[in-house]
Amino acid sequence: MPRISLKIVGASGQGINSIGAIIAKGLKRSGYCVFGYREYPSLIKGGHASYQMDISNQRIRSTETKVNVLVALNHHGLELNMEELKQGGIVLHVTPGWQFPEQHQKLIAERGLRVIYFPVDDILNRLGARAILSNVLLTAFVWSMLDQDIEVIKSLVGATFVKKKALLELNMRCLDEGYSYVDPEQDPISVALPPPDMGFANHFLLTGSQAMGLGAIHAGVRLYAGYPMTPSSPLLSFIAGLENKTHMVVKQAEDEITAAQIVSGAMYMGTRALTATSGVGFDLMSETLSLNAMIENPTVFVLAQRPGPATGLPTWTAQGGLLQAANCSAGEFARCVIAVSNSQDAFDLMPVAFNLAEQYQISVIVLTDKQIAEALYTQQPYDLEKAQIDRGRLVVDPEKLKFLKSSDRFNPHAEHGVSLRWLPGSEAATYCAQADEHDSMGAVDESCLNTKLQMEKRLRKFHGLKTGLPAPDLYIGGRRAKTTDWMDAGDEIELLAIGWGSTGGVFQDVMCSDELRGRKIAYLHYTYLWPLRTEELRRLAMRSKRIVLVEQNYQGQLGMLIRMECGLDIWDKILKYDGRPFFYDELLVSVMARCASSSKNEGNAPGFEYTGTST
Amino acid sequence: MSVAPQTRLPAVSDYYSETKCIWCDGCGNYGIWTAVKYALVELNLRPWQVCLCYDVGCHGNGSDKIEGYRFHGLHGRVIPFAAGAKLANMKMPVIAFGGDGATFSEGIGHLVHGLRSNYPITFVLHNNANYGLTTGQASSLTWQDQPMNTSPNGIPEHTLASMDFIFSLKPTFVARGFSGDIKLMTRILKAAIRHRGFAFVDMLQACPTYNHFATHEYLLDRYFDANAAGHDPSNLQQAIALATQVQDRIACGVLYQREDVPHFHDRLIPRQGIETTCVEEVRRYDVSEYWKELV
Repeated sequence: MPRISLKIVGASGQGINSIGAIIAKGLKRSGYCVFGYREYPSLIKGGHASYQMDISNQRIRSTETKVNVLVALNHHGLELNMEELKQGGIVLHVTPGWQFPEQHQKLIAERGLRVIYFPVDDILNRLGARAILSNVLLTAFVWSMLDQDIEVIKSLVGATFVKKKALLELNMRCLDEGYSYVDPEQDPISVALPPPDMGFANHFLLTGSQAMGLGAIHAGVRLYAGYPMTPSSPLLSFIAGLENKTHMVVKQAEDEITAAQIVSGAMYMGTRALTATSGVGFDLMSETLSLNAMIENPTVFVLAQRPGPATGLPTWTAQGGLLQAANCSAGEFARCVIAVSNSQDAFDLMPVAFNLAEQYQISVIVLTDKQIAEALYTQQPYDLEKAQIDRGRLVVDPEKLKFLKSSDRFNPHAEHGVSLRWLPGSEAATYCAQADEHDSMGAVDESCLNTKLQMEKRLRKFHGLKTGLPAPDLYIGGRRAKTTDWMDAGDEIELLAIGWGSTGGVFQDVMCSDELRGRKIAYLHYTYLWPLRTEELRRLAMRSKRIVLVEQNYQGQLGMLIRMECGLDIWDKILKYDGRPFFYDELLVSVMARCASSSKNEGNAPGFEYTGTST
Repeated sequence: MSVAPQTRLPAVSDYYSETKCIWCDGCGNYGIWTAVKYALVELNLRPWQVCLCYDVGCHGNGSDKIEGYRFHGLHGRVIPFAAGAKLANMKMPVIAFGGDGATFSEGIGHLVHGLRSNYPITFVLHNNANYGLTTGQASSLTWQDQPMNTSPNGIPEHTLASMDFIFSLKPTFVARGFSGDIKLMTRILKAAIRHRGFAFVDMLQACPTYNHFATHEYLLDRYFDANAAGHDPSNLQQAIALATQVQDRIACGVLYQREDVPHFHDRLIPRQGIETTCVEEVRRYDVSEYWKELV
């Protein structure tokens, strides 16, 4: 798969994102798949930040550590990012009279780099334009290097200044000027892109947070309450930004406890409501998780992961929240943990999460991470007919409401532990959503018989849920495969990798690499993480020469759950816990090393230490 | 309970529960509980038409001793839960109950923002000036130097001036009742439930087991109906004076009310002109309008 990477670096607040966004969108409209990745420190202005886009004419879902083009908006970029350039790469900068230190001069020579100084201030002076337009000039020049039609950028910029004619004209002049600029000391510069695939032109360019927000609105969420915390805040901002169109109730709460309680109250009353937070914010929500388990109140929480402990690395990524989501909070109860992996299922899983919550009257925790929340995906338009709204055993028919008894609400003998639910305000017998242990109508009952019955009722949901959840997705050689085809028949698997969340996209790109083409690598991707299905994994593991866990945390948390559930101990782990996502080239090296050793080392298969608890 | 025939007016018996009361003899909760039922009936509300949300404490143990759609939650959290319930269904009267322990300690942030947000709910403070259910520890409203469980020498902290605090938050409705006067409490509760915005109702109640300072007799001797004595609830300065000066006589009744302040939901621009509730609006939405800018 051809891939080109372009990275814009500079101080936070210098306009990196605006340049990045316009070029990324321009490329997408010109028929390229773009994957955008941002790094920035936890402050508003200053600090070194970057916007990298990886570009292909095929589906691309990952970032490389090495780049073809570096655009440095200040000299810090020239000091810090030179090592990242590929052989024959291009450095574009705006720092007048910059002298590269000796080691960088050597690097430029060894890698055959081309260095271009773009005299942005001279051009601005000539045009009588203010400094704010320097980004427009630079965007146009980068665009010319990519050999793309300037009309695409003009239409994008034009759309922003529809009502400001004078500004529009100046912007257009800057675009022409930047686009036609030729460095007098160089031959024309050109970054060769593969031929475009116009199929991408009508796609969206959006973040995982925007995808999730659209999914939530699609799923019928009518109330959103949240407290700002990166990387969950972009979801709150996106939903709030649309409130005048969606007519939703949006509440910025005084803390995460409040957000969780408001959402729980709203769900109890019968709407669909959502909240999102991260790490320690979720700690504050966990008492409410326990509450909802006891009152059997369907709720959905988004847990956007970033590295911890404590406030950790606020603007970086991690997958350290899996055990937190699966285990936090007081008492034993059934819950469901699912993880989004990209912009497709960030959308698709929102209706799924609400349906699961209402079908089982449980809390569903939707994991995402900073990488998904803020990465830019090239996304095909969503299917708006696919999702159904399933409200489970909710009684709304007035005829049926008449016959309800209070004791139907928490009937301990209900099938799969899921009893009838009806909403406050329904003309029917009433009940108490009771946080103390209670009987079938919600009256406090501490008797041993009742306690046992109600515990069993609530935890019985777990079994139905586990049976009903979809199997993990299997990919062979980068293509989706049917798990069943591979469980009992098919060839021996050279390497079986297991991952979840944002790891999935990178791993799929790695499997599509030229280096691994034709290899019998299987990737088992978990979306439904708790309850955990291990049946497919166990059978695939039996037939795999080598098995590896790929996660962005220190302990291999999914591996821990797998071992707990079925006894399979995956000793080989590719783990990352430095706040950065897996990068394409780095993961490729790790996978290739394992493929090489698995062909040498027969009999290195993983073992089962004990028969698991799952049935 | 089965649904009562709708041809007749609601009766107090509609709110009868099979669950027996377990409060101590002489507990103020009996009076408040009774007044709540009277107020709901006099407002012509049937159990299925009301949402009653209880915090944790002795009062919360009343959650299964009345009919209605009820909720009994976690310590200190009742205000945001009730607010969420109300915002989801603006057609439903929502009444939240909390004790002085939860409300002025663990949940004090929620009280501040509940008042500030002016959520359209009623909040009834069961104020017995101690943590009754956990066996008589001092709350923020217990008198300073009063020996209590876990503070045998009396609490070192000074007592929180609850009414000064409430008035500093620009309330739109403040009332005070006494658990010994059901008629007065009923009148207050009806006004509170009808109020546009956050209604704060301080119910002074006896706790015969643990509160040996502000006893039933103490309160009985000092309370009076300020409205009957001519107090105009629109007079803020007089309301503050009556609410905060309680050494000799304790003014009860509707102490303060203004209805010219829009409540939280009224202030939400996206909800202007929307007749339906969030509960009624749950369905699958076409979001293609919102993704146009992303292409």
